[in-house]
Amino acid sequence: MKKRLWMIFGPVILACVLVLGVLLVPLPQGHLNQKTLREASVSMAPNILLGQRIKDQALKSDYVPFIGSSELSRMDAFHPSVLAAKYDRPYRPFLLGAPGTQSLTHYLDNQSWIRQYRGKKVVFIISLQWFTPKGVNPGAFQYFYSPLQAIQFLQHADSHDAADRYAAKRLLKLSPAKAHSDIREGLLDIAAGVKLGQGLNTRLAIHETLLRNEDSLFSRFTVGNHYARIQKGMAQLPEHATAAQLDALAGKIGAKATTNNHFGIENHFFSQRLGGNKLAKMRGKQATFDYRRSPEYGDFQLLLDQFAKNHIQVQFVIPPINAKWAQYTHLSQPMITTTTNKIKRQLADQGFSHVLDLTKAGRQPYFMQDTIHLGWRGWVAVDQVVDPFLTQQQAPDHYHIQPYFFSKGWANAQ
Amino acid sequence: MINLQPYADPQYFIYLLVALIPLMVGLWHGHRLKVYEVLVSLSFIVLMFTGEKWHQGVALIGYLIWQVVVIFAYAHYRKAHNQTSWFVIAVLASIFPLVIVKLTPVFSVTPSLLGFLGISYLTFKAVQIIMELRDGTIKALRVWPVIRFMCFMPTISSGPIDRFRRFEQDVEGAPERDQYLDMLNRAVKYLFLGFLYKYVLGYLFGTVWLPQLAHFALRIGGFSWSLVGYMYDYSMYLFFDFAGYSLFAVAISLIMGIDTPMNFNKPFAAPNIKEFWNRWHMSLSFWFRDFVFMRTTFFIMKHKLIKNRIRVSQVAYLINFLVMGFWHGVTWYYIVYGLFHAAAIIINDIWLRFKKKHRQSMPHNRFTQALAIFITFNVVCFSFLIFSGFLDTLFFK
Repeated sequence: MKKRLWMIFGPVILACVLVLGVLLVPLPQGHLNQKTLREASVSMAPNILLGQRIKDQALKSDYVPFIGSSELSRMDAFHPSVLAAKYDRPYRPFLLGAPGTQSLTHYLDNQSWIRQYRGKKVVFIISLQWFTPKGVNPGAFQYFYSPLQAIQFLQHADSHDAADRYAAKRLLKLSPAKAHSDIREGLLDIAAGVKLGQGLNTRLAIHETLLRNEDSLFSRFTVGNHYARIQKGMAQLPEHATAAQLDALAGKIGAKATTNNHFGIENHFFSQRLGGNKLAKMRGKQATFDYRRSPEYGDFQLLLDQFAKNHIQVQFVIPPINAKWAQYTHLSQPMITTTTNKIKRQLADQGFSHVLDLTKAGRQPYFMQDTIHLGWRGWVAVDQVVDPFLTQQQAPDHYHIQPYFFSKGWANAQ
Repeated sequence: MINLQPYADPQYFIYLLVALIPLMVGLWHGHRLKVYEVLVSLSFIVLMFTGEKWHQGVALIGYLIWQVVVIFAYAHYRKAHNQTSWFVIAVLASIFPLVIVKLTPVFSVTPSLLGFLGISYLTFKAVQIIMELRDGTIKALRVWPVIRFMCFMPTISSGPIDRFRRFEQDVEGAPERDQYLDMLNRAVKYLFLGFLYKYVLGYLFGTVWLPQLAHFALRIGGFSWSLVGYMYDYSMYLFFDFAGYSLFAVAISLIMGIDTPMNFNKPFAAPNIKEFWNRWHMSLSFWFRDFVFMRTTFFIMKHKLIKNRIRVSQVAYLINFLVMGFWHGVTWYYIVYGLFHAAAIIINDIWLRFKKKHRQSMPHNRFTQALAIFITFNVVCFSFLIFSGFLDTLFFK
């Protein structure tokens, strides 16, 4: 009888010990091979974005974070990842972002690497489309939410810091952060300006180890493999080319890829997303779009604060909107100008001096790959600024963060 | 205050299993620690409804009072009388709270205050007692056993739906040691199979792939390969998530010395729709078979509403699955899902009769069997696509 009892529960006890052992013991973080890093750098997959180990290792070598959203997935021959690999630049982009990632997601994601990346450089592509009246979409936020990064935020949060308190309040408004009781408790404390208790800190630390081990064990799997697209792009480029030659080639390739519509939109995108009667439905549809007032301005300020605290030098890029498309959908040009100026003011007032404003280039042919995403010649234009920014020594920046930019007053200012 | 949702995360099992150790030791020695059992069950039920969910807990208490009043009023009446009208009134009174909860979303965005996690499954149990009182298979009732049956902790939130008399037999005694060891053996197996189903496969299908497929399907719009992918993926998710949950519920029951019936038996290997319903969410489909389908059939035959026997069963199927559709919720896709399965099972019946008639000329081999499973699987997956409500988002939102 006793023996049978052991036969039944022995394996269970063993399983529990093994699982707890693997998850709670700090595991050695061995080296991942170059191929894994190369594929992860262009995968844009949630498990990379939300994880730790792969970014840790990549950013210690030549990889530079390229933070953005959907435009990063426009991997034609002139995409930053292709150009860097083809011309063997001293840097390689690590794409951080995916369709649906906005400032708050990036702010949390950055928790996983930015403190170890102090004093280095980052490229940041801002989308005007983030600045909607309601700000970040809770569904998208949930999709890209990582409890590990939320814990890391809490572990480094200062209960007297305006930015950290603002972030805690924002996170409490969004459902996934509230789901876990310890994280919720921590956020409530920080939002209220109270230091985290000893017990809570210990619980969070245990949980962090657990999530970290989980990440280092599993994050290398389920990498979305886009590297074939990068290689395809590299094959289209000549061995050596000046910027003008690249621009001319981009125009030629762009022209070939945009033959089924008069918007200059890539053929496949046009037939898939705007085919049939979908196009007609879009006429005049964006007349009421307004990016001038949005909680996103405060969320964006979190990123600026984070960059300033970690002395990161940032090259900002504000991409244009396809002008023919904007005309068709009646998107207001004055509204776009005001929005751009507002963002630029938020940057300039606080000492962020590297800003590439392309919003006036929406009319140039083959500059955009589709409606709102950079493509061919647009990427070449980005490269002409980003490459020197990353490869040459830059004068040190002097940031002076102003808490005013967290306020509702600024979010609603015009 | 901590809140524990049943089987929601690995910690839950640790808390629960530790709390159950004294009970297990008791059962090992052939005793059921009844008071301790009540205390543990009550604590875990209370912890389901703490914090933001407190009003659900209040709703549960109110609901139990209501059901006890209805059941005992009818039991009292049934001792001396047996009129159909009072039986119907008792059943209607018993399902009344559930009807309110299910109808509320049609009229209002805020869910009904009467609702709580598990109301459907408690209603099935209450109605079953009333039905058996009517049939005379349950004669004497006491309040405590009824509450104990309805609120059996491992199955309170989502079944499997046990039967009162079967449950009573288990809960009144304790299994022999040999028998209990067999139960523990099964419990461990089910627990670990449940972990694989719910936390590995269910997670993969439901959390990793489903949102991506949904995203692509919505982006393309209309018919797309992503939608086809969504259909199969959702079906797998639905199975592994719910089968995993059911395995947990059965396993915990077994540890408590109660042999709760199983809910799934390789449903995707079913060669036809009828067989599918003998394998999928079995405790629910058997409940519907016994208390909706059979009763409808008898009612129609007794009152000679329809002469043709084949028609009778077809009408009974239609009503059966329509009720099931409405039970899932009052939305077009749940109701279409019910109608779809009614149509499928009626067609299946016609085919089975046809096959019987032409037995000589009908090939029957490995290939035809595989084909039958393949067709059934795809029909079922399509029905789950309807059930998922994704078409509603895709076409109308």
